[in-house]
Formats: sequence, C-alpha cells, structure tokens
Amino acid sequence: MTGAVFQETTAELRTQSVPLAHLSLELGHLYMEDFEAGPARLREHFAEVRIWADAVRASAARRSKRPRISTCFLVDDYFTRFSTPAELVPMVLAEAERAGLVIDYLARESACAVADRIELAESVTHRLVESPPPGSHGSRPPVSRTGWLANGERTPAGPRSALGEVKGWQPPQETAARNHSIFMDVELWSERDGRRLWSCPFLAAVWQLARLGLLRHLGEPVLVPAQWTGTDFPQDWDRLPPLVRLTDTAAAFSAYRTCTLLPNRFLAVEDAVRLILDQTDVDAGALRQVAERSAAEGMPVPAAVAQRAGYVFYEEPGGFSEAGET
Amino acid sequence: MTAVRGRGARTVLACGEVRTCLLPSLQALDARAAAQLLRLRADVPVRISERPVLHALSPEVLTGVDCRLPTADGSRVRGVGTVTARAALTEGRLLQATACFSLPAAGPDTRRPWGQYLVRPGLVEPFGKLPRQATAAGVLRGAGRGELDLGMISEGLLAQVRRHPLLDRRVPFKSGPTRLRWVAWRTPAGERAALVNFTVAEGGLRTVELRLPEDVPASAAAGLCEDLALHDWLLTTVQHLLDNSRLGAADGPSAVGALYPVVVHLLHLWMPRAHVDPALGHLWDALEDRPGFSRQWENLSRRIRDRLALQAVAVPHQALGTR
Amino acid sequence: MLIFSASDKGGTGRSVTSANLAYHRAMAGDDVCYLDFDFGSPTAAAVFDVADARQATEDHGLHAYLTGEVSEPARIDVWAETEHQVLRFPPPGCGRLVLMPGDVSGGEFATGDDHLRRCVDLLMNLHHEFDLVVVDLSAGRSYAVDMALEATAQPEMRDVTARWLVFHRWTRQHVAAAAGLVFGKRGILAGGVERGHGEEALRNAIRFVRAAVPDPESPLWSQVSPTQSAWMRKTDGDLKQLASTHGIGYSQVLGSVPLEPVLQWREQLITDEDVLDSQVANQETWQALSRLAARLTDDKHWEQA
Repeated sequence: MTGAVFQETTAELRTQSVPLAHLSLELGHLYMEDFEAGPARLREHFAEVRIWADAVRASAARRSKRPRISTCFLVDDYFTRFSTPAELVPMVLAEAERAGLVIDYLARESACAVADRIELAESVTHRLVESPPPGSHGSRPPVSRTGWLANGERTPAGPRSALGEVKGWQPPQETAARNHSIFMDVELWSERDGRRLWSCPFLAAVWQLARLGLLRHLGEPVLVPAQWTGTDFPQDWDRLPPLVRLTDTAAAFSAYRTCTLLPNRFLAVEDAVRLILDQTDVDAGALRQVAERSAAEGMPVPAAVAQRAGYVFYEEPGGFSEAGET
Repeated sequence: MTAVRGRGARTVLACGEVRTCLLPSLQALDARAAAQLLRLRADVPVRISERPVLHALSPEVLTGVDCRLPTADGSRVRGVGTVTARAALTEGRLLQATACFSLPAAGPDTRRPWGQYLVRPGLVEPFGKLPRQATAAGVLRGAGRGELDLGMISEGLLAQVRRHPLLDRRVPFKSGPTRLRWVAWRTPAGERAALVNFTVAEGGLRTVELRLPEDVPASAAAGLCEDLALHDWLLTTVQHLLDNSRLGAADGPSAVGALYPVVVHLLHLWMPRAHVDPALGHLWDALEDRPGFSRQWENLSRRIRDRLALQAVAVPHQALGTR
Repeated sequence: MLIFSASDKGGTGRSVTSANLAYHRAMAGDDVCYLDFDFGSPTAAAVFDVADARQATEDHGLHAYLTGEVSEPARIDVWAETEHQVLRFPPPGCGRLVLMPGDVSGGEFATGDDHLRRCVDLLMNLHHEFDLVVVDLSAGRSYAVDMALEATAQPEMRDVTARWLVFHRWTRQHVAAAAGLVFGKRGILAGGVERGHGEEALRNAIRFVRAAVPDPESPLWSQVSPTQSAWMRKTDGDLKQLASTHGIGYSQVLGSVPLEPVLQWREQLITDEDVLDSQVANQETWQALSRLAARLTDDKHWEQA
C-alpha cells in the first residue's frame, strides 16, 4: 500500500518489538516441596547450578565477545500456594548470592496462565497447529476440543462403519519417526468444576515463549517486567507483579535463546515443552523481529522455535530427589 | 542448524479457495459484533475497516497438511506445510472464508521437523520438483480424495464461524453459497498484475487465474478474489431471486415479500475494489469491460426498484405495510 | 422446512414416494433438496434416473461427508443430469431439484459427536438455501433415524421446522409395525424425548402416510366378484379400526397413496406425461401425490390432533 492518504488504525496490524538479550538463563524453578525441604536444599541447588551457569556463560562467550545474559527464577504459585513473597524471595536471593549467583528477574508461574489480566495460556492454545501425519489433507485439527497434543498418530479407537472391517490393535506412530517411533501424547489442560487447569508442560511452554520474546497481545508486548523498588516484598503472591526485575541489569528479560538449568526429573516435562513449541504458530511479526535482529548481531537463531531452547539436566543433589517425587 | 532464511523461499504459484454465503443472522452485525465473531485468536485483533463499507477480517489460522497435491494429470506429488485460512464479513451480512497456500518450485525429498514449516505460514513444499501446470489445473478442478483439500479447510472455517453463539442462525431469505477457486502465477517483481481468466461454472463454482508479481503478497490475491467472489455472489443471488417463477407470475404482495430483503440487505453492498490492494485494483477493469459486472448489477437493481415501484402504484398502502 | 421420511420396514414405497413429493414441490416452484440417508441401500439415484451422475460422485456422497472425508456432499442437479426424457425439460418457473446421494460402498455407521456436528451443519445450511429439504431415512430404528432425532434436538435447530412422515403399507403387520416405530418403547417418540425433544411437539410433527393402499371403490377392482368385493371392504374397515386403536387413525394420517403399479415396479418419478400421454400411471396416484405434497407445508394438517 503506497501513498495511501486515508487510513484506519483499526484496519492495520502492528507488532511492537521488545528488547532482547542474547541469552535468558533460568537458574531454577521452585516448587512447594523444594521450599518445604528448607534452605539447605536451596543452597545445594544453587551450588550445583553455579557450576553449570558458568559453563553456559562460557558457551555464550563463543558466540559473542560481550554476551548479554539475563538470569531468571520461577516460583510456583499456580499448582500450590505456599509461603509468601515476603518470606520466600529474600531467602532465595540470599541463597543464590551465597553461591555467587545473581537473579535478575523473578516470575510467578501463574503469570504464564494469566498476566496483567491477559490470558496468555488461552491465547497460545489458539496458536497450536498440529503436525499433520501423512495423509492429512485438510481435515480440521481437534486439539482445541481434546486438550491433548501428540507427536504423531494415536492408536485408532472406536467403531467406524458398522459393516467395516474389524481391525486388531494398531500401534501409534510418531510422525517424524526414524525407523522406530517414540510416541508422546501430552495433556495440555484438564477441566475441573468447569475450570480449566493448565498442565505443567503447557505453562512451561508459555514460559519459554515469553523468554524467547515471542508473545504479544494485540501486537503489544506482554509480561513486561516491573522494577521492584521497595525493600519489603508483599505478604500475598497476588500483590507481587507477575514478572519483577530485581537488579539494575541492562540485559533484557527476553532473549534470542534460552537455557534452563534443571534437575533431571524434569526431563519428561521439558520434552513435552519441546513437543508443544514445535507445534505452535508464534506471532509472525515477533518471529521476524527476532530473526532480523539476531542475524544483524551475527548470531542468527535456528528457524524452529523449539531449537532455540537449550537445557542442562543435572543430578539432583544427594538425597533430595526422593522427596521431589512424592 | 539452519538459520531462518529470509522470508522468501521464492514461490512460483499461489492457490486458494473462497466460499461466500449469507451470514445466518436476521440482523446484520455491527462492527463490534463482527469483531467478536471473527476473533479466531485471542491475541490477534480482528481488522476492522468501516469505509467505504464495513469490512472485518479475521486473523489467519493455520492448518497443517501432508498429502498429495491436487494435480490434473494424476501425477503424485507429496506436499507438506501449512495452509492459511481467514474469514471476512462485509457489512455484517456476507460471510466469506478463504484458504490458501503458496508453492515453491521445488522442495526437499524428506519431511523436515514440523517447527520449520510453522515458521513459514502458508507455504506448502513439494517433495522434489513441482509440476506447476498440473497443480494449478488440479487446484481449479478441485481436490480428489486424499488430495490437499482447500474446500475442506475453507468450509471448516466457515462452519466454525456459523456456529458462533452470537448468531441466531436464521436468515432473512434463502440463498445458496458459492465457491471461487483461484491460482496466481508468480511473475517477476515489478511486472503488472493481470487477470488471466474468470470462469463461471455450474453448481456455484467459479475459477480465477491471475498473474501476480513476486512483490505482491499472496494475501493481496486472496483479498482480490474475496472481492470478486462477493460481487459474483450478489449477482448470482439476486438473479436467482428475480428468476423465481412465482415472482414472474406476480400476484402482488409475494413479489414484495421476495424482493424486500434484497433491498434491505443486499442493494447497498455493491462496492467493487473497496478493500482490494491498490496493486490489484485495476484487475477489476477487465471484468467491468466484459461482461460488465457493474452494468449487470445496475440492471438488476433497476428491475427490482421498478417492480417495487409498480407494486406501490398498483397496491395501495396496506400491502407494503405488512411487508 | 425439513421433512424426514421414515418407515419400519422396507418395501413401503418410502423412498419413491418421498422422491415424488420432492418432485411435486419443485414443479410448484420450490427449491428442493433431497438427501439420501438410506445408508443401508441408497436408491434415490435410480428413482431420479441419474445413475451416470451418481457414478461420477461415488465416494463423495453423504457418507463421506458425515465421516469427514470430504468437505461437502456431492450434489446432483436433477433437471440437468437426469436421463429421464421428461425430467430433462422441466416447465419454466419450477424450482431447483437437487439430490445428495449416499455412497455406494458405505453401510450404516455408528454416530459420534463429529458426525452429529456435521449433520447439524449440513441441515442448517440446506435449510438456509432450500425451501424444502426431504431426508429419506433407512428403514427401522436405524442410525440414520437416531442421527436425525439427535440433530433436530440441538439448540441451534430449535427454530427450524422439522416434520416426520412415517410410511407404511396397508396391512395388519405394517400398521402395527409403523405404530411401534413411533410409539414403541424404543420408538421415535421415546428416542426423541430422550434426546431432548418435547414430547408434545414431536408427536405433533409426526404424520403417517399409507402407501400402496388398494381402494375398494377403484375401477381397478371393478371386475372382482361380489364376495371378493365385500371382503375387501370388510378388510379395509378392519384395518382402519386397527390403525385407530394403534393411535395412527385418521387424524394422524397426512394422506394415502393408492396401489400404483408404476411406483411398485418401476420405482420412479411419476410425471404428468405418465398420467396424461402414455397413461401408464393413474390419475388418482398423481392427485394423491400432489395433495400430499401440498400438505407437507400446510399447517392445517399439522395442528394438534
């Protein structure tokens, strides 16, 4: 459209850009059981994480002489509510500091469901585009109705034509299988009392998209960090902004790539996250901005979004893993 | 690890199908309701344009496909990628759904990870070399069983919108839907776009062939074809209403009853190229020249107005009062 | 308006009579669509004499649509595609007559949520396009009947007028069977109520059509002996009594179609040419069909009995 004199703003699409670091490094994800195990557990956690965080920084330095790295930490306030920000946040910060780590950004897990009254998780469900098994010629994807997302074709179930041939059990089939299938089917949400409970992998996928700078709402950035200026943290999780900046770091929360440091019991969850990311049609404008800017900085991102997320899975420090699995 | 390629793996062909029908609602929707109806995604706005006619355009949604491409000569070419679909509502009255995709001249021989297809929405890659001619003809002919089915995707979207709880699912008059299938041959950037042909076939089917310069996005072609389909639907529908025998036999009030909704709901919708990309607006000229779309519309409108005027003269006030 | 044609048994002339009703309405200027939901044994293509067109649409029919394999069922424009000499030249001013055939290979199938959704979509869309939609359902308490009941019970179809014709032959077994199909334990009425229909409203939307009824007064039987004639009258009277006790007496009947060799043997549309020129069909049959066709939309015949 060139030289248009007449314009209507409601008729245009614009995607605002967000500031981007090179790498978003997640230093941990705190659940109730971790908290209940006491500060010693956190101490162990950060001591282990410190080693891998250094390795990740060294890796980032291979791409850029002056890598912009921001660190973040996630607290679960979605599946279980425990403690208060006033009690918990200072403890986390103190233990991190003891290990020589700095947490730049702190987020609440419920922010991945709803942040600033925007239903992020709901929006992402509208963006799921199922990987089509061979033979898909345009019948509509059923994700939105079933709440499950797979990496292939499920075992067929149920009767078809009453006089159709009867078939025995058939195996599921991974679409991208090499010789043999590794079939995975992920529950994205469940319904209880008419309320939708998002699954942990699904919220974690939203979290990855946020860290990769790929979420927008009506073209505007979402989950914008709020600077925490006060000294005391509130007594109620709801009064803590969904994402707070705790330091005066210049590195942005979102980044071209992410790296997440996790105990190895989360491997299945993160595998599910990759499955979800691999079937999410992210905002085209945001995608383009990230691609262009990363390329301009000489560190182009992989085409597929799921490939931009890296992980380090480490052995849970001694004796704690059993507690985590109850 | 492959980096994101510049947006264009070059495409040589764009194809689409648009379905047009009357919105199943007794009242035309206003801009707010239209935005609500077409909100296919919570995080992307519906584009609303109120001038010169109210036009609402939904966000695009994707459908993944991995199947044979439709080919007229029976050659079997597998294609993998995504088809974009979008819905449009004009004057809160006419509903359209378009499904379309673009094709490059050739693609890899194996399927890639799905995430790589998703970052290039609306692109379907052939396995190996694309038989351009056969595919274009296949799209216009319509999909065979198991072939990439644009009709299925556009109809699916149309069905989804028609089920929206906002609609009372009642119609002010009976009318049939139409389908318009189109292919656009890509030509070097800077060349002038051209309309190669527009064919009216039986059963509400129309086909269009375009020449589309590389610098004009496929969505602009989709917009042009939606505009053509909309006006063709108006001509088809009003013509059918006028052809209805009982109207010809014209015992007074029934003609008023049949024509009244046309006047109320349709006559003001004629607005060629209102929302067509300026790069393609001139393609209308060919159709205005021959067969003369607007001429035909003026003629139909005049016939309706004349008939109603005659009726008004013949039947004193009460008949019109009861509509 | 939607018209569902049902019958308990085969051989009631349900399909051929329904097709004739569709034909009469189209001749009168209505846009009519005929859906062949006789999933066990689709026959409509033969009745409309569109066998070739049907071949071309094989695998694109209603089965394929309902199971989600094609985006919409194939349509056959009867006037354009029929091989019937008379139908090819419909009089000016008649409406459209469209056939949606079943699939040759598809049998009855269990219905699921997706089938139901597609069925509702289809009926709604056709209702918005055609003046009259005639749906021919498989005989007995079939999946087709279940689906029709379920679809019409959906909230979005509340404002769509749907009427049911139950065809039966004029014999003791058929009368009892037809009553059973409607009023029986697992009948249309009970099944409809189970799916959310109001009993009273559904009951008022069902009428019976007596098919292949021999008229004792007809000239056809003028040659029979007085004893035979008296017996016929007596039997006819007994049947009327029986129908009445089964709750399908006069007030529940929309009409009767006389015993007509052309319908019985040829299973085809009866055109005015058959009646007037070649005279292979009876004038009475034509009139009965015409009357029945008019009553489909005449509310007077659908008021509370």
